[in-house]
Amino acid sequence: MNKLVKYCIAFGFFLMIFIGKTEKVFSQEKDYKVYTLFLYNFMKYVEWPDATGDFVIGVVGDSPIKQELMILSETKKAKGRKIVVQIINTPEDALACSMIFIPSSKSDQLKPIVEKIKGKPVLIVAEREGLAKKGAAISFAVNDEDVLQFDFNKSVLESQSLKIANLLVQLGELVGYFIFPI
Amino acid sequence: MKRLLSILFLFLFLGKISFSQITFPKDTFDYFEMSLEQLIKMKAHGVPSELEELINSLILAASKRPLTARESPGIVTLITQEEIRNSGARDLIDVLRLVPGIDFGVDVEGVVGIGTRGLWAHEGKMLLLVDGQEMNDLLFATNQFGNHFAIDQIKKVEVIRGPGSAIYGGFAEYGVLNIITKSASDLSGISLTGTGGQMEGAMGRRNFNLSAGRIKKDFEFTLGLFLGSANRSDQNYTDIYDTTYNMAGNSDLNSTQVNVGLVYKGFSFREIMDLYQMTVRDAYDVSKPMAYPLGFKSQFTELKYSAILGKKKNLTITPKFNIKSQTPWQTISDFDTIVEDYSKAVQRYTGNLTASYNLTRKINFVAGAEAYLDKAQDNSNDTSVFSNGEKQVQYLNQAYFLQALAKTRFINFIAGARYDIHSDYGSAFVPRIGLTKKFKKIHFKLLYSNAFRAPSIENINLQDSSGMNPELTRVLEFEMGYQLTRKSIFTINLFDITTTDPIVYFYDDSLQTDNYMNSGGAGSKGVEVEYRIRDKWGYVIANYSFYSAEGKEKITDYEVPENTSMLLAFPTHKANLSAWFKVGKYFGISPTLSYVGERYGYTSIDSTETSVIEKFEPVILANLFVNASNFGVKGLTIGVGCYDILDSKYKFIQPYNGYHAPLPGPSREFLVRIIYEVKSQKKKRGK
Repeated sequence: MNKLVKYCIAFGFFLMIFIGKTEKVFSQEKDYKVYTLFLYNFMKYVEWPDATGDFVIGVVGDSPIKQELMILSETKKAKGRKIVVQIINTPEDALACSMIFIPSSKSDQLKPIVEKIKGKPVLIVAEREGLAKKGAAISFAVNDEDVLQFDFNKSVLESQSLKIANLLVQLGELVGYFIFPI
Repeated sequence: MKRLLSILFLFLFLGKISFSQITFPKDTFDYFEMSLEQLIKMKAHGVPSELEELINSLILAASKRPLTARESPGIVTLITQEEIRNSGARDLIDVLRLVPGIDFGVDVEGVVGIGTRGLWAHEGKMLLLVDGQEMNDLLFATNQFGNHFAIDQIKKVEVIRGPGSAIYGGFAEYGVLNIITKSASDLSGISLTGTGGQMEGAMGRRNFNLSAGRIKKDFEFTLGLFLGSANRSDQNYTDIYDTTYNMAGNSDLNSTQVNVGLVYKGFSFREIMDLYQMTVRDAYDVSKPMAYPLGFKSQFTELKYSAILGKKKNLTITPKFNIKSQTPWQTISDFDTIVEDYSKAVQRYTGNLTASYNLTRKINFVAGAEAYLDKAQDNSNDTSVFSNGEKQVQYLNQAYFLQALAKTRFINFIAGARYDIHSDYGSAFVPRIGLTKKFKKIHFKLLYSNAFRAPSIENINLQDSSGMNPELTRVLEFEMGYQLTRKSIFTINLFDITTTDPIVYFYDDSLQTDNYMNSGGAGSKGVEVEYRIRDKWGYVIANYSFYSAEGKEKITDYEVPENTSMLLAFPTHKANLSAWFKVGKYFGISPTLSYVGERYGYTSIDSTETSVIEKFEPVILANLFVNASNFGVKGLTIGVGCYDILDSKYKFIQPYNGYHAPLPGPSREFLVRIIYEVKSQKKKRGK
């Protein structure tokens, strides 16, 4: 065996030792606590026409955000209304909600939900970027520096009789006038 | 082999000790009371690990719009100030040697230059930027390494191991070294560094650095002062005619650098003065009876303004004006006529206007134009003139560039091009396309770039009768990375480089003149792999690089006759290991190791005046550096270490058959470094 092969084996051995010794944790996960805080602020800065009863926030399917929303519902209220977290399994379930969060993995549910709640005051917030151009009122976006931002679609908000505070208008990015193939 | 394995096991042992020191901070902060204004500054992902912070940091040099290291359209190595300080690196050679594919060779007159991926990149093929200023000399487009640049001032080095001509033009054919020094907010006070090194037979180096930075309202000020004095080596140099002399006292490397930066709102001003004074005896082929001075003087001035326009601040217009004034490769004829007079002053006046427009958050366009005027004056005390028959010459170059970036869910698409038109050698058009994307733990890059080397003033001046054209290169690169855990990542990349019409130096024996011409072709292909792990206990970086010139056209003077896969001076196999282990609260230990594989170089001439090639066995460069920070005195760091522990006596080989024998590098060198930092009491303003 020549020297080069020996060196390669030593090098590979060294790498394997280190790889084997490191903890098995997945790559950097999304911080749904931050997403939840945005949703909480949307509750504060969006005005619903009927602000009575419980504030029901629906989560489409299974998402880690549910745990964070549960903590929120136990500790805070939405303008004095009790916050209730509900899992949405069918588009019909969306009718009982004031706000709906659509996780990235359930983005295909946006269209049937939009059709079901058409004209009704239900704020749809989508996790996947770009969905505010496709029927959601608000969608999240992550910039190059990993800062969480949001887009909003004013025409969707107006069609659902939802009023958005100026603060949100200033901090978010208005979309819906241009369509790009993203 | 045993020595290598012993060192590896020592690293493993230290690593195992350190794994037990992992601690996890508790999350106690109540986020619910945060305002929306505070929220919009929050990161989408949880607290990054130290490794994630590194691999997701923005890379400035690879695209006109910064992208993260994993998505940037370039094969990138990012070196941080922390890594430089921990390793005890003596100069930029120590820093860059640990980068995959990079190695060094000797040119002439004791000047050490850089090579990458087996190819000699010294003359006009590797752009070196310091705070945006192009350090390459304007006569031959070279950079000179060896106790030259102030590494204590560095915040980070972005090494683009592939072409950058589509952005930077004709000096970035094979790569870009982008040095960014510490900003006012990084320094926020004063930092003093003293370094002393002692080789076996002579003083190694005596360096002093002062860095200072201050922010007052919208005004930022930085100052860097570096004074360095070193010997290249204390070993014996034997030229090809078998004349030997000791390099101690005959290979001085004296550097003075002043770097001043001012920022006020969108305005920025940069002034760098770089005086690099060597003494050499090796000359070109026959060594001289006594040492003579070789000088490189440069001054860089930049005035820049960035105007951010639009309601959404999505348009940035940046006008920039630069003046670069140099007298490189200066030798003065003395009464002993040891060396001929060579004194040519050159200035470059550059105007640049760049516009960057974010059409959406994910679509960006950059467009701009640049023009520069080169003026050279031959001040040599002889009858030499430029190719126009006069003592002065000037050239005008205009360039136009464009870049489009579209980030989609499935792929990031980057396309760009630069078109240069030169008043003497004509035009060069270099497009590039990049596809990059990261999907959680995996990322990939597929890059195709055209690049060119702009003939320098002396290339044009010394062109032969066939004329002079830009040298053109095509590079195909593919990288894939896999984040094994939150603290470790593995990357592998493949490259294929093909250069046509390389600009080649030759000496015309009949006319006894130096000449440059476009001739033949060059290129290499290969693979580079890297593994990084970084945690509270420290970090380990291991990499391996391989190139082959098999199947590529070769320049006769650069090839190894008995091995068609190799090129002169550069090893096909190279591996590096650098690590730092935190020991307790105050101490850190950093071993570094470079394995430089088998190399070939010309060492002598036979009785028929034909150069004789020789094989150089593999070399292991092992170093160890220990730091103690804030131990006893806050802000005080004391480091001691030893470079080239195994006393391998590495030699810089000339990468072409130019009748220069291999130049010895430093022998085993013991180092002491003292750093004292005084931070301003005022609260720092983050950028």
